[in-house]
Amino acid sequence: MAIKVAQSSKPDPSAAAAEIASSFSGLKPVTVLFFASSQYDPASISRMMKEKFAEATVIGCSTAGELVSGGMLKNSVVAMALESDTISGIAADVIDLGDRKAPSRAVIGLAEKFGSKPLDLNPELYVGIILIDGLSCAEEWLMEKIGDLVDIPVIGGSAGDDLAFRKTSVYLDGKVYENSAVLALLKPAFGFELVKTQSFCGTGKKLVPTAVDEATRKVIEFNGLPAVTAYAEAVGAKESDIVSHFMSNPVGLIAEGEPFVRSPQRVDGSSIYFYCQIRKGVDLEVLSSTDIIADTTAAIQKLQRDDHPIKGIINFNCILRTLQLYQEGKNEAYGNIFKDIPTVGFSTYGEEYIGHINQTATMLVFF
Amino acid sequence: MAGKIKLLIDNLVEQRAQGNPSLESTTRTKLLLKGIDGTKYTASSDDDPAVIEKIRQIAKDMGVHLTV
Repeated sequence: MAIKVAQSSKPDPSAAAAEIASSFSGLKPVTVLFFASSQYDPASISRMMKEKFAEATVIGCSTAGELVSGGMLKNSVVAMALESDTISGIAADVIDLGDRKAPSRAVIGLAEKFGSKPLDLNPELYVGIILIDGLSCAEEWLMEKIGDLVDIPVIGGSAGDDLAFRKTSVYLDGKVYENSAVLALLKPAFGFELVKTQSFCGTGKKLVPTAVDEATRKVIEFNGLPAVTAYAEAVGAKESDIVSHFMSNPVGLIAEGEPFVRSPQRVDGSSIYFYCQIRKGVDLEVLSSTDIIADTTAAIQKLQRDDHPIKGIINFNCILRTLQLYQEGKNEAYGNIFKDIPTVGFSTYGEEYIGHINQTATMLVFF
Repeated sequence: MAGKIKLLIDNLVEQRAQGNPSLESTTRTKLLLKGIDGTKYTASSDDDPAVIEKIRQIAKDMGVHLTV
């Protein structure tokens, strides 16, 4: 059976869940993944979705916008139903981000459900999905800890709240969690791949963080100079104008030739806060934006083959990309990239792919 | 002395990846995200004790038994 996706813009959580259940009529999903605008009361939407899909593992989070095949939405719920011919096994757990030992317990417990130890999980057979409270500032240490424990790919996003920055929520089986993450371990029935796409090219300009406050994601100095001064020099701007460059000129940690984007957030005196932790002494390269539509289209086309068609995509797309797409009038074009592929996703407060990143779309692609 | 850091990094990657090129790449990326840039160290790089200690701690966190 093909992967199915559904959407509802009904403001009442019960009616929205009913509309989605109606779209999935006749299906017997083992997993339902849903992403819901923060305009839905978290407890209600989580409870209603679980009531409709009592036999499935129901996982979700709040968003800063939703994605579904053919569309970028607001104030909606989107969902994907995965049956046993797509997912042969799933286990999920909640990680309390206030407990540094919680990730280890969760990962060991999830692996045990598949009769394995964490490091013995085959990266070609298993994949993790992680949904993290987007206001927790915990993504970096959580992804590091998970990465210490397993070699399987783990992909996901930080929950949003429609740019209010007050409260984000993650959901598992009818309950709501804050300052938490939901980690799901999946065994896809057939193939899968991960995509990380970010629309930037390198400028060759290096910024070395020489004084940082890692915990608060603040850079005090680059290259021995006040951060604002060094960044302004690198992008060729006046110090008073640098904020206007943040969206188009983030910095990238270049790992194995791939940029892991770190987006500047705001100026504080001569320091710059980022949406991602910046490590002292690790070289960063100033990036320059390219075309999101062209780059994302190419990333998907690269995977799509007649003998190996894509059956479904889960897309964790940075809110900064969403804002840029709307500003440029390209939001419809972005939705259209996925119009013929069962796709759900949401606009995130950060993306997860080995570590925490910004201004990126990370995707789990099912074949 | 020199070159210890590169030895430790290479050993950590080798032990964790067990010859799998994809895992080698992922492990090197994980190290970079933890602040250890493997491309910066050669056989003649100074043995910075703070970096050496950091790599040993990372190995412990990753459950890797270093053999150098």
